[in-house]
Amino acid sequence: MVALLVGLRWRQLGHQLGRNPWMIVSLIISGMIALGLLAALAAGLVALRIAAPDAAVRTLVVVGSGIVLVWWIGSIVVSVDDSLAPERFALLPVTARSLLPGLVVAGATTIGGIGTTVALLLMLVGWSVSPLALVAAVVLIPLALATCVLGARVVSGVLAGWLAGRRTRDLVITLGVLLVACSGLLINVLVRAFARLSDPSAVLPAIADATGWTPLGAVFGVSAALAQGDLLAAGLRLLIALATAAALWFAARGLLAARLVAPIQSRSGGRVRSGGLLDRVLPASPVGAIAARTLRYATRDPRQVINTVMMVLLPALLIGMTLMNGRGEGSFALGPAAILIPAINALLIGTILQLGIAYDNDAIALHIHSGVPGRADRAGRLLGFGIIAVPVTIVLCVAASMLAGRMDLIPASLGAALGLGTAAAGLGVWVGAFLPGRAPAPEANPFGRGSSGGVQSMVAMMIITPLSLAIGGPAFGLAIAAIWTPWLGWLSLAFGLVCGSLAMWGGAVLGGRILERRWPEVLAEVASEA
Amino acid sequence: MTDFTAPFAAAPPVLSLQGLRKQFGQKVAVDDLWLDVPAGSMLGLLGPNGAGKTTTLAMTTGLLRPDAGSAQVLGADVWRDPAAAKGRMGVLPDGVRMLDRLTGAELLRYTGLLRGMTEAEVVARTGELLDALGLADAGSTLVVDYSAGMRKKIGLACALIHAPRLLILDEPLEAVDPVSGETIRQILRAFVDGGGTVVLSSHVMELVESLCDRVAIVADGRLLANGTLDEVRAGETLQQRFLSLVGAHELGSETLAWLRSS
Repeated sequence: MVALLVGLRWRQLGHQLGRNPWMIVSLIISGMIALGLLAALAAGLVALRIAAPDAAVRTLVVVGSGIVLVWWIGSIVVSVDDSLAPERFALLPVTARSLLPGLVVAGATTIGGIGTTVALLLMLVGWSVSPLALVAAVVLIPLALATCVLGARVVSGVLAGWLAGRRTRDLVITLGVLLVACSGLLINVLVRAFARLSDPSAVLPAIADATGWTPLGAVFGVSAALAQGDLLAAGLRLLIALATAAALWFAARGLLAARLVAPIQSRSGGRVRSGGLLDRVLPASPVGAIAARTLRYATRDPRQVINTVMMVLLPALLIGMTLMNGRGEGSFALGPAAILIPAINALLIGTILQLGIAYDNDAIALHIHSGVPGRADRAGRLLGFGIIAVPVTIVLCVAASMLAGRMDLIPASLGAALGLGTAAAGLGVWVGAFLPGRAPAPEANPFGRGSSGGVQSMVAMMIITPLSLAIGGPAFGLAIAAIWTPWLGWLSLAFGLVCGSLAMWGGAVLGGRILERRWPEVLAEVASEA
Repeated sequence: MTDFTAPFAAAPPVLSLQGLRKQFGQKVAVDDLWLDVPAGSMLGLLGPNGAGKTTTLAMTTGLLRPDAGSAQVLGADVWRDPAAAKGRMGVLPDGVRMLDRLTGAELLRYTGLLRGMTEAEVVARTGELLDALGLADAGSTLVVDYSAGMRKKIGLACALIHAPRLLILDEPLEAVDPVSGETIRQILRAFVDGGGTVVLSSHVMELVESLCDRVAIVADGRLLANGTLDEVRAGETLQQRFLSLVGAHELGSETLAWLRSS
């Protein structure tokens, strides 16, 4: 049964790879990232082992606990799409007892499982400070791996019922993507906080000793205690580690048995409030209908909710960091420049509008067989997106100017952000007509293939960015000049609005013309699996 | 249909497929397909899995560009004058997603407005269509949460909302329960009685036999038979005729012998 399930897992992966060359690319990229992380781990361990053997042991406990934690938390996101979900076995005459060992081994032989095994083996370099610890660490590798896999199964099993509702699933996916998107910033903040501690070297041993007693780190704490010659602590920690694994085993088996007889079915999300206001305000025409639909999708489709939130979050974080750094250095040198930051949204705006059809996927067929003019499709998306983006931009610009203490620069800030944003929007709808890009299918895991639009999106970016700088350039340049001569801000705003409107008009007309010529090809591109 | 039709017998067909051809790689999905559908008829397009039915309908509705040939709706070429041709067609595609993050009522309104209808018309017809198809209670549920049968019904409502002259329906009764199925049959019959024309694809012989007055059979991308129901049946049941045209797959007496429980 074990061999059968492991084989099944690998065969599924093989078929996916064979059908979809992009899977190979993403597999290679994730493999390279894993190799890079492992290489960094190895280099760090060797350096620590040579320079500070004592600190090495404690670092290992923290690193090991971190790996376990990533498994447990990561399972929340990965379980959204599990090729060996218990429901798939519900029709077969198998028991939880006979299935679980195979599922655990299959979980340990995935890319992540193999990477973890290699990491555990690399950690032996650090444990080699003490022969006893080394032996214990070798013996405990399977236990550590089992703790990872079983913990992940239990966490996802407990959450599965809750995740079955479409709304919670959408929410988890949205939060997950945002967390990944912001992870760089979060790590930055944590590292800074850690660096601000008066004595970082005093904290590490405390953390290591504490986590060594928790279910997360006990399996690594055993070897650490042995390296320090504390046999009693080692014995107690071994008991904790064994009890953890045993408890997880029984919990996982219980959950599996329950799901085999009561498979979880995806539940629907119930009724939604239909914003009648939207229909009354927007004109009853193809353009108005497409704009209203774009707005509804911006709040109902998790992939597009992420875009909307990022438009607020990215500049807000950048403004905050710029102002904080400026203050920290005791000068306001960068202060007034913060008013230019909302203009960075132009990058997002161009890509979001370019990917509009890719997000619709093959549902765009409705626009094709109902004979909507291409211009209406382009203009409707611009209008709908503008109803969100323009207020967001105004709020950001006013906030940035107020925080920088230069209210007189509000027109300049608006000129820069609206000038570049509208130029990028116009270019986005134009480029999107011949390079529609790719997005994850509406029901798929957004971490999957092509979540950033694939190669087409990169090419599109290379077209949109320089051209929006050219069209929005006068507005942006005048906004910079306004920092010294504030009245130029009004000129910047005027230039931004005029050039941007022309760009959007041109983008809608030219993009619409291209769409009408090649609708079937666009449909084939956004609907293709690869 | 009264005597008035006689003088118009020579009028151009509502739908005319002229030498359609589509090739995917090595596989020829549709091969030189000619088909005329006269006004006021309900044509059942039959064929085994992979025969090219959906490909043919996609080329008819503007979703897939043919390698050769043309499709004309009431004289308007789908590929040269798409606005005119598409305006006269109502389409229920199979195997493509819907904009399923809209509610049923929103999707209908959206489709109506895309078709250039006035708001008053859209509002009135949305309510009527939801009532007729038994979707009134589900009007404010997202389409993504609909069952397969409900999706077919809302798709059909979208195809009907602008009162087209020609309906192109891919598997319109698949996964639809018997009660709703009867409703859909009544709607389609009334549509044809009112002078409309329907082309529907199906696997179900009984459905085509009871509903359609014309039948076309395709296999391997070729048109094998085309005519009125009685012409195509030629005295047999439609099932027998279909199997003799397409070729039945006979099981030998010993095949799957282990399935006998006694």
